[in-house]
Amino acid sequence: MLPLSLLNAAQGKPMLVELKNGVTFNGHLVDCDQFMNVTLREVYQTSADGERFWKMPEMFIKGNIIKYFRIADSILDQAMAEQEKQRAAGRQRGGGRGGGRGGARGGGEGGRGGGRGGPPGRGGPPMRGAANGRGGGPGRGGPPGGGGGRGGRGAPRQ
Amino acid sequence: MSSRGGGRGAPRGRGGGQANDRGEKKKRESILNLAQYVDKSIRVKFMGGREVTGTLKGYDQLLNLVMDDVIEEFENGMPTRSLGLVVLRGPNVVLISPTDGSAEIANPFTSEQ
Amino acid sequence: MDALIPFTTSGSLVDLVDKKVMVILRDGRKLLGVFRSYDQFANFLLESCVERLHYKLEYADTDLGVLLIRGENVVALGEIDLIAEDRVPLIPRPLDEIRTKINEENRRKERDHLIKSKVLETVGFVSDGREGDAY
Repeated sequence: MLPLSLLNAAQGKPMLVELKNGVTFNGHLVDCDQFMNVTLREVYQTSADGERFWKMPEMFIKGNIIKYFRIADSILDQAMAEQEKQRAAGRQRGGGRGGGRGGARGGGEGGRGGGRGGPPGRGGPPMRGAANGRGGGPGRGGPPGGGGGRGGRGAPRQ
Repeated sequence: MSSRGGGRGAPRGRGGGQANDRGEKKKRESILNLAQYVDKSIRVKFMGGREVTGTLKGYDQLLNLVMDDVIEEFENGMPTRSLGLVVLRGPNVVLISPTDGSAEIANPFTSEQ
Repeated sequence: MDALIPFTTSGSLVDLVDKKVMVILRDGRKLLGVFRSYDQFANFLLESCVERLHYKLEYADTDLGVLLIRGENVVALGEIDLIAEDRVPLIPRPLDEIRTKINEENRRKERDHLIKSKVLETVGFVSDGREGDAY
């Protein structure tokens, strides 16, 4: 799942966008393009110092001033499941994935087919344990949800 | 301003037929429908931090904007400055939002972790 | 099989996929997470991501979940050796405590920098740029 494919798959979903200057926007993704330009709806803007807040119905953000997106875990899970489904449908004779996109991964690397699951060895705190879903570690608020830590950026109060 | 009406759409060279042939018209189109903001008041922020509000009069696919009754606002509370009719260069634009329904509000986020 | 993958930027990033990594951003943030994917712009997708604050040998983590980082903002990406990580004597501390300590440290540095640049000025040096300004 390429970064921008996830963004595409996240259309309609809530997310947090942080700009290079530290300003953050919480909103629902309306649309995005290959330049990472995005449009958001129902947007809460937070100033870089976390002291001031604005609400706006709609917002267009140029891709080149974005630092990062915080996206809910469930959206990644959904998108990967969806991609897996499409891939399976694509190659009609079953066969897992691996090789899917040529290029970097090379054809012969089907061995990594299983894909995700933490690195082998130990499921340290931030990792996701391979077997039991969520690895240990402190509970984790979903992205546009529990960012209360940094000057109270979290979910809008319902 | 009749000339403006004509210029407002996409540069035709790229839109229309050619895009249909390639079957990826969606990708070529701007993700922002600026037509909805024409003659409406919008706020625009630029690279470098400047910020203006005004009435959108025209635009193109590169996000160049023509705005009227433009007022530049400053973060540090300096008095605003009136700029009148202005062409805003697309490459320098970083944020666009409608002024209608936008307002500064109290912290809308719960502070508990 | 490795021989088939050229040693290019993207070629070496392949090896990090699904590994635990640390990403350092231009704003100085250190992020730890599982490296899920990347593209030709070095945009990164990190899962189970935390932001880590350090003060000397103490640290605190903030959960961030899934992060899509725009490549421009990345300074460095490195795999974390899970074995070696256990041997590093880092001590987890409450987030607030670490924040307070870092803030104090920053104030100290700010003051020292001011004093230093004043002294340097008296002997004809121009003091611009400081630690952390490299990118």
